[in-house]
Amino acid sequence: MIAALKNRLARMDRIAILAVPALVYMIAIFAIPVAGLLLRSFSGPDGFTLAGYVSFLGDAFNWRVIGNTLRVAAITTLICLAIGYPTAVALSRARGFVQVALLVAIILPLSVGVVVKAFAWQIVLRRDGIVANILVGLGVWDTPQLLLFTETGLVVGAANLFLPFMILPIYSVLKLVDPNIQDAAATLGASPVYRFFKVALPLAMPGIVSGSSIVFSLAVSMYVIPSLLIGDRFQTLATLVGRSFLLMRNEQLGAVTASVLLALALAIVAFSSWAVRRKGDSR
Amino acid sequence: MREGEAFLDIRGAEKSFAGNRVLGGVDFGVNRGEFVSLLGPSGCGKTTLLRIVAGLLDADRGSVRLAGSEIGNLPTHKRGVGVVFQNYALFPHLSVADNVAFGLRAQRRPQADIAPTVAKFLDLVHLTEMAARPVRGLSGGQQQRVAVARALAVAPKLLLLDEPFSALDRKLRETMQIELKRLLRDVGITTVLVTHDQEEALVMSDRVAVMSRGAIEQFDRPDAIYLRPKTPFALGFVGHSTRIVGKAGASSDGTLAIETPVGRFFAAASFMGGAPVLLAIRPERIRINAADADANSLDAKLTELVFQGSKVHLHFTAGDAQTLLVEAAQIPPNLAVGDTARLSWSYSDTLIFPHDGTLQ
Ligand SMILES: Nc1ncnc2c1ncn2[C@@H]1O[C@H](COP(=O)(O)OP(=O)(O)O)[C@@H](O)[C@H]1O
Ligand SMILES: [Mg+2]
Repeated sequence: MIAALKNRLARMDRIAILAVPALVYMIAIFAIPVAGLLLRSFSGPDGFTLAGYVSFLGDAFNWRVIGNTLRVAAITTLICLAIGYPTAVALSRARGFVQVALLVAIILPLSVGVVVKAFAWQIVLRRDGIVANILVGLGVWDTPQLLLFTETGLVVGAANLFLPFMILPIYSVLKLVDPNIQDAAATLGASPVYRFFKVALPLAMPGIVSGSSIVFSLAVSMYVIPSLLIGDRFQTLATLVGRSFLLMRNEQLGAVTASVLLALALAIVAFSSWAVRRKGDSR
Repeated sequence: MREGEAFLDIRGAEKSFAGNRVLGGVDFGVNRGEFVSLLGPSGCGKTTLLRIVAGLLDADRGSVRLAGSEIGNLPTHKRGVGVVFQNYALFPHLSVADNVAFGLRAQRRPQADIAPTVAKFLDLVHLTEMAARPVRGLSGGQQQRVAVARALAVAPKLLLLDEPFSALDRKLRETMQIELKRLLRDVGITTVLVTHDQEEALVMSDRVAVMSRGAIEQFDRPDAIYLRPKTPFALGFVGHSTRIVGKAGASSDGTLAIETPVGRFFAAASFMGGAPVLLAIRPERIRINAADADANSLDAKLTELVFQGSKVHLHFTAGDAQTLLVEAAQIPPNLAVGDTARLSWSYSDTLIFPHDGTLQ
């Protein structure tokens, strides 16, 4: 037993060498700078201090910014999930040409830069843009309204940008699920609704968790999209970090804001993954 | 139930995939409590027919009736047809016991009945100790038993098994076949087994339906399929045989003469004179150097001798290229490869089929 474990560790050691380049790179480019940033957020003129956090959390404006950030990220994630899950199901059932066409349609937009897309949306979301015209034409709106520079516009744009990161993880899980499993559930007398909640959803859950974690992490820290689609009137933690460093030249505020953002994103992703997994185990 | 209607009654089932006809008007009936096999080569449409019965596929035409009522329009979950899939299709996120309980919960059976029912069926398939295990780590044989228990637990009217032994190795397969047959007989459930393995079909079934290219060629008791195959396909698919192509000659008193390149033979049959025919003999029906009167016979040279444990296969050649296969209980004394022997078989063991010019 112990010998077997040793053996396994020894084998893992050798294979782990393959991860060394990534490890070195991540330490140099990610871990060290982030550690520096964290240190900076705790350092004042007289050494270690919590003053930065105290003043940050004491300001009501910052709480509104935290609220904005979490709300936009959560809604974006939910939209991506609502659109992405059915798409991933379709993708996993499609065959041949249809499947290739769908995959290309999902991956190709990733090659268009964020800035290009943001300006393209500005055209679509204008008061005289396509969306406003359609909504008026359908009678949803009496008069054309501006979607640009609103939170709705921001969420719509962000969801569009991050959708592939929801679809692909779910698809990669679903394509490994034996299609006969759904049929087996049906032959046991399970209705379509029961099959969805007791079979389809639990089996897709690992993909849903990783897709949602990726989209949430991207959405909670996005910078370019809010800057271009809303501008200064609507602050998120990420844009606040940018302002602190670039505009206000307040490095400690920037470091504190960035650390808060990091902590929130990590905590929420970790907690929701844990909660989903725990629910999965107790069933 | 209608007059003359079977418990499972399929009439004129047709199915095409993208213009490719897979089932061509299948009629198929299974009596209550019977164990029937659908036997045919891979790709002949067995799974397609099975999925139509379970409601997992819609037939293009035809009717499917179960216990006296049409089920062709019911969704799968309302049919009461259990299926054990070829790869078992267990729920990977559930334990053994929860797999077995799945159908009971889905059908909202009384909570108090679920645990005892699960325990009963786990016991029936000898998996009581495994109840809490995840299904992922189970062996092939254990997975198959979970699949069977899961399907039986909801007490379906009909059980369909799609090649349930194909993932098991040979030794285990034979044990499981006997065990499963006994279990299903005790439960008393009507069962249709799909297989391409003739031995499995013969061993397990009350009746066997031999299927070829989307049609049932013969539906009969296992011994009848073997001893009196109705078509060259049934002859070739079940068991071994020697085949000789010839021409029907004169017939009198129900005895037909057949002219072949290796001699004239007689069979207990009647046929239109001059028609091309295929003559066939089962290997264990041919005797070597026996003093048979009123029997067909020819001289042939032993070319190969294959020892198979409990039996021996002897390959002979007669004339230019006619091969004959003989099965014997032991290696005949005084006979070596290269020797010539007299082979004989009775008229009644001579099987005759119309011949379309090709040999399968
Ligand atoms: N969903 C499908 N689409 C297209 N062709 C199919 C489909 N299912 C089965 N077939 C074809 O129908 C034929 C019969 O298949 P199947 O019923 O699975 O045969 P068996 O179970 O006897 O091996 C095969 O040629 C197969 O390729
Ligand atoms: Mg099949």
